[in-house]
Parts: sequence; structure tokens; C-alpha cells
Amino acid sequence: MNPTHEIASPSYTLNCRMNQEAAALERLCQVVRVRGFRIARMAMESSEECLEIALTLEGSRPVSMLQSQLEKLHTVIGVEVVSGAASRSRTA
Amino acid sequence: MNGSQHILEAFHRHNISTVFGYPGGCIMPLYDALVDDVDVEHVLCRHEQACALAADGYARASGRLGVCIATSGPGATNLITGVANAYLDSIPLLVITGQVPSALIGTDAFQETDILGMTLGIVKHSYLVEDAGDLPRVLEEAIGLAQSGRPGPVWIDIPKDILLSPITTAAPERPQAENRQQQCPDIREAWAMLKAAKRPLLYSGGGVSLAQAEANFRAFAEASGLPGVVTLKGIGNAGRHNPNDMGMLGMHGSRAANKAVDECDLLFVVGARLDDRATGKLDGFAPNARLIHIDTDAAEINKLRAADIAVRGDLNAILSAFTTAAEQTPLSIGDWQKQCQTWHTTGGFRAAGNEAPLTPITGPAFIRQLSGITPDNTIIACDVGQHQMWVAQYYQFAHPRHHLSSGGLGTMGFGMPAAIGAQFANRNSTVINVTGDGSFMMNAQELATIRRYNLPLKLIILDNQCLGMVRQQQELFYNNRESQINLDDNPDFVAMARAFDIPALHIERTDQIRRGIETILAYNGPMLLHVAISREENVWPIVKAGSSNREMIDEPRKTSNRKEQVA
Ligand SMILES: Cc1ncc(C[n+]2csc(CCOP(=O)(O)OP(=O)(O)O)c2C)c(N)n1
Repeated sequence: MNPTHEIASPSYTLNCRMNQEAAALERLCQVVRVRGFRIARMAMESSEECLEIALTLEGSRPVSMLQSQLEKLHTVIGVEVVSGAASRSRTA
Repeated sequence: MNGSQHILEAFHRHNISTVFGYPGGCIMPLYDALVDDVDVEHVLCRHEQACALAADGYARASGRLGVCIATSGPGATNLITGVANAYLDSIPLLVITGQVPSALIGTDAFQETDILGMTLGIVKHSYLVEDAGDLPRVLEEAIGLAQSGRPGPVWIDIPKDILLSPITTAAPERPQAENRQQQCPDIREAWAMLKAAKRPLLYSGGGVSLAQAEANFRAFAEASGLPGVVTLKGIGNAGRHNPNDMGMLGMHGSRAANKAVDECDLLFVVGARLDDRATGKLDGFAPNARLIHIDTDAAEINKLRAADIAVRGDLNAILSAFTTAAEQTPLSIGDWQKQCQTWHTTGGFRAAGNEAPLTPITGPAFIRQLSGITPDNTIIACDVGQHQMWVAQYYQFAHPRHHLSSGGLGTMGFGMPAAIGAQFANRNSTVINVTGDGSFMMNAQELATIRRYNLPLKLIILDNQCLGMVRQQQELFYNNRESQINLDDNPDFVAMARAFDIPALHIERTDQIRRGIETILAYNGPMLLHVAISREENVWPIVKAGSSNREMIDEPRKTSNRKEQVA
């Protein structure tokens, strides 16, 4: 058995705002998975234009790297790390 | 105007005059509209993968947007490899596919695939057009997005009914063309770090030409005098004649380039993403160096190696600011420059070979002669394998857009379609596809495209009767246990070319190289040169995947004297 599996990965809470578009949510989830994180909890609310998504994630890689990959998605308006790491707002 | 006509109108507005595609059921309305369009040249390839790769080659060689078109289902899935290829090398591509009519989506209709879902991970962005009124906006957005910032493929999937629907909404106003000379971030801190370094090294990648920053890059390289290494995609950044350019680093890089990275105290990274094929094991990469990372894409900074200083923004503006600084206060790195030049002389790839005339041809000997004979503006499209590495090592490129190589995905079969695309983008340039016997067969059907459009392309097969790159790794790292690499039952390539009405020539001895190359170059039309090379030839040096670049393995018979010169 791989001993690293027994060590709990750090957990983070992220708030993500996206435009309503086909496959918006799939895109978000795929980036989270491919960049090495696991979704522990997810809540979403949708308004006319936007999706507001709260994510609790686990993963051993730096969360800032995930944040910058999510911010690259065209449908993403903003990503905020609210706990688990120093919060950083989106740069231009 | 219907949806299809609207797409063509968008092409006109954006000066898109060449597209690569293949028709079928759900995209037929667009093909019907093409019948009446005299301004858009549609190039029919013989496989959708080749359409995407040709569009990619077109974009790489020209810096313009590549466009490919296919039908739903198998047409769309056949595009996937080509689109992934463009994604990993940040090539601007517009991909248009037909989809089953809106009402049939989700019913497992004939030729329905969820292409949007399948391709999320290989596009910069993608759209499924759900409302005809959205089409004008989506097209504008997609064309802009594919080419802006860090470029990449953007895919639009359009249901057949929308291709036929009347479009009443107008295309949105085009935003004013961005001024390329954008505001420059503050470089003072980075300049101070560079100025203080004793052994600074310029490390550049494909980002330089993606940002169309070649001129500013060269101005900076010259003003600073920094010794430089390049990644596979950065080859040509410094031109043919920069004495400080040490060529490619990494797995098959030169001993000199890897040595310089190992010894430098500052790595000045421009438009490169520190890919594992270039860095080797990260722990051992540039162990004594601080790092300044210059890139357009924020997500590349600190991704694999923490930057001491990051400068993010438009490469043109940033490089020109550094050039001004270097002109005002030149760097004093004379000893380090000399040291690098010595390493390059003894451990670089430029050294001329002295092959005896009657001996079998080797890959390096052939590429060195090709480099010497071909004109400066020659475009070389490679496939993937040993031949690709010999081109990277021994061909002297004048410009990065002359070297078309599938870097990120390493797609066998890239070369011929990419060369086709490049020839359409540069009708008067000499375009050569250098390929291996394995790669050639991956898109060999495109001989028909070359013939149909009578493209004056030159095809060179370095035929070692095997999957050479895999054979080499099996020899070196799998106890020489050869597994499924033998191709000694290859077809007769000369006869095969002739079957497509493309003349062909066979050579096998060193003294035939020059005549062979000159003959195909002089021929007014497409021609194939079949070059028999040894099955046992390896690409040297090599770093085992996962090892540090310091652990380069050199050609056994050269090991003893190389050690003295460079180590
Ligand atoms: C589509 C695809 N399949 C498999 C590979 C793995 N691969 C990399 S190099 C290579 C051998 C290439 O053989 P050839 O084209 O004859 O070139 P050579 O190495 O002999 O010069 C293979 C199979 C790949 N890169 N692309």
C-alpha cells in the first residue's frame, strides 16, 4: 500500500464565479481533477448570467497553481481561495 | 443570410482565405454555401486528422489563424489528435464541426457524438451553438480568443439546423485591434538581478514566436550578449549566426547547452514552460541558478520551478525594455561568454562531419548537408522520432517559424499535413517534410492532397526500417529487448509515391546526398527522396527520461574525448 495515501491532503475552500455556458461546470470539474485535486464538497447557485460555485477541495499540490489554471478558463469570472491558503485575488 | 453563409462572411471579415476540411452529413449546409464563395479556398485533405494538422502547420508557418472544418461524429473525432497537437503547442486554430440537428442532440442520433464534452481538455475554449442568434457573437469571440494572449484552438460545434437558420443578428462590433506595444511591467528588480549575475543564461522557447517577438528577442540577445540555449520550440529564435547561441538543451540537447544550464547562476527564461523533456529531473535542473521568468501566461509562472522574479505581460514590451537597459549599462560577462563559446565549439552540434563517401548515410550527416544546401527561408516540417531530433540538432534555422515540429504532443504523422499547411501559407517558400518510415505511414494518404494541389513540397524519408526512437530506448533502457519496432516489410516508398504521380528517388551512400537533395530541390513540383539509413543509428547524446540532464549518455565511441573537453 502506498503510505502517502494515509496522509490526509490539505483541504481548501474556493469560491468560483462563472458565466452560464454549455459545459461550464464540466470544464471546471475537469480542470480540478486534471490539476491534481479531489472535490470533497460542492454547492452551486445559478442566476440569469452567472454560476456561483463553492468548492471544498483536497490535494497536495499548491492551490495557487489550481487557481491560476481555473482563472484561465474563458467562462470563469473570478476565483477566490477563502480558506486553506493565503487568499489572492485575480490579476489582470 | 443563413448560418453557413454567416460563417463565410466572418471568414471574409477576418481575412481567412484558406481553410482545411472534409465534408459530411451535418456540415453539408456549410459546404453548400462554399460552392458560391470565390474568396475562401477550401483545401480537401484525405483525413480529418490531416485537416487539423494542416491548419496547425498553416498557423505555425504564418502566425495567422488556422481553420479546419469537419462533420459530426467520426469527422469530429478524427480531428481530435490534430486539435490536441495545437493545444499543447499553443497554436491558434478555429475548429468548426457540424452537429446533429438541435432536436436530435441527446438521442444517440446517427453520427452524434458529444464532441464538446470529449474535447474540453484540449481546447482553449469551445462552444455548442444552441441559438442561431448567438452564432455571430460566438464566431467573433472564437476568432479573437484563438489568437489572443497565449493562443490555442477554439472549437465551435454547430447543429445542422443552425447552419440553415436565417441569421438576423449582426456581428458584434470588433474591438479596436489591441496595440501590440502594451504597457510594460516594471523590470527594474529583474534587471538588477541580471546585472549582478556572473554567469547568466538566456533560456528561450516557443513563446517568442507565438508573441511575434522575434525581432525584440534578437535585439535583446545582441544588446545583452547573453549566452543562450533554446527549447525544441525555441529553435531559430536567435537566427543562424548568433555566436552566443548554444542550441537545444534537454533530453537530446547538446552537451554544451546542458552544461551551461548546469553551471549558470541565473536563468533568464523567456516564453518557455520548463517542460520535462527540456529540464530533465527538476531537482537537478540549473541547481545553482536563480530564475527570472518572463511569460504572457500567469499559470506558467511558478508551475514547475519557483521564479525568483516573474515578469508577466507582453513579450515585445518586456524584451524591448530589457534591451534599452542593456544598451545603457552593458553586462560584463566576457569570461562567461568565452567559456560558453568554448563549450559550444567542443560540445555543440555544429561541428562538421567528415564522413567517407562510400559509407552508409547517417541521419546527422544527411541533415548537416541539407542545412548547408537549402536556402535561408526553407521551412522544415518534421515528424516524430530520431529524424526529428537530428533536424533539431543539426539544421541551422534562420527563424523559429521555419521549424515546424510537434513539440508538446509529439504526434507521428504531423509532418506531411503540416508541410501542406505551410506551403499554402507560404506559396513561394521551399517546404520540406523530413520524416521517418514509421511516421510517413501515419498520414501517407496526404500524398493525394499534395498531388491534387500540385504543391511543390519535398518529402524526405529517413528510412531505418524500424521505429527508431523506440528501438533506441529499448536498446539503452530495456536491455535491448526489441518489441514491435520492426518495419522491415515497409512498402516500396518510391513506387508508392509514383502511384500518386509524385516522382521519387532513392539514395543510400554518403556521396549521393548532395545530388539527391539538389535533384529534389531543382524539380518543379512535389518530389520524394527515399534515404536508406542504418537501422542501428542512435540519437546522441541522450538523457534517460526522469534523470537529470547532468546524466547525459554520450555516443560510446565519443565518450572518452568528450569528457575531457566539456566536463
Ligand atoms: C501517433 C504516435 N504514436 C506513437 C508514438 C510513439 N513514438 C515516438 S517516436 C516513435 C518512432 C517513430 O518512428 P519513425 O517515424 O520511423 O522515426 P525514427 O525514430 O525511426 O526516425 C514512436 C512509435 C508517437 N509519438 N505518436
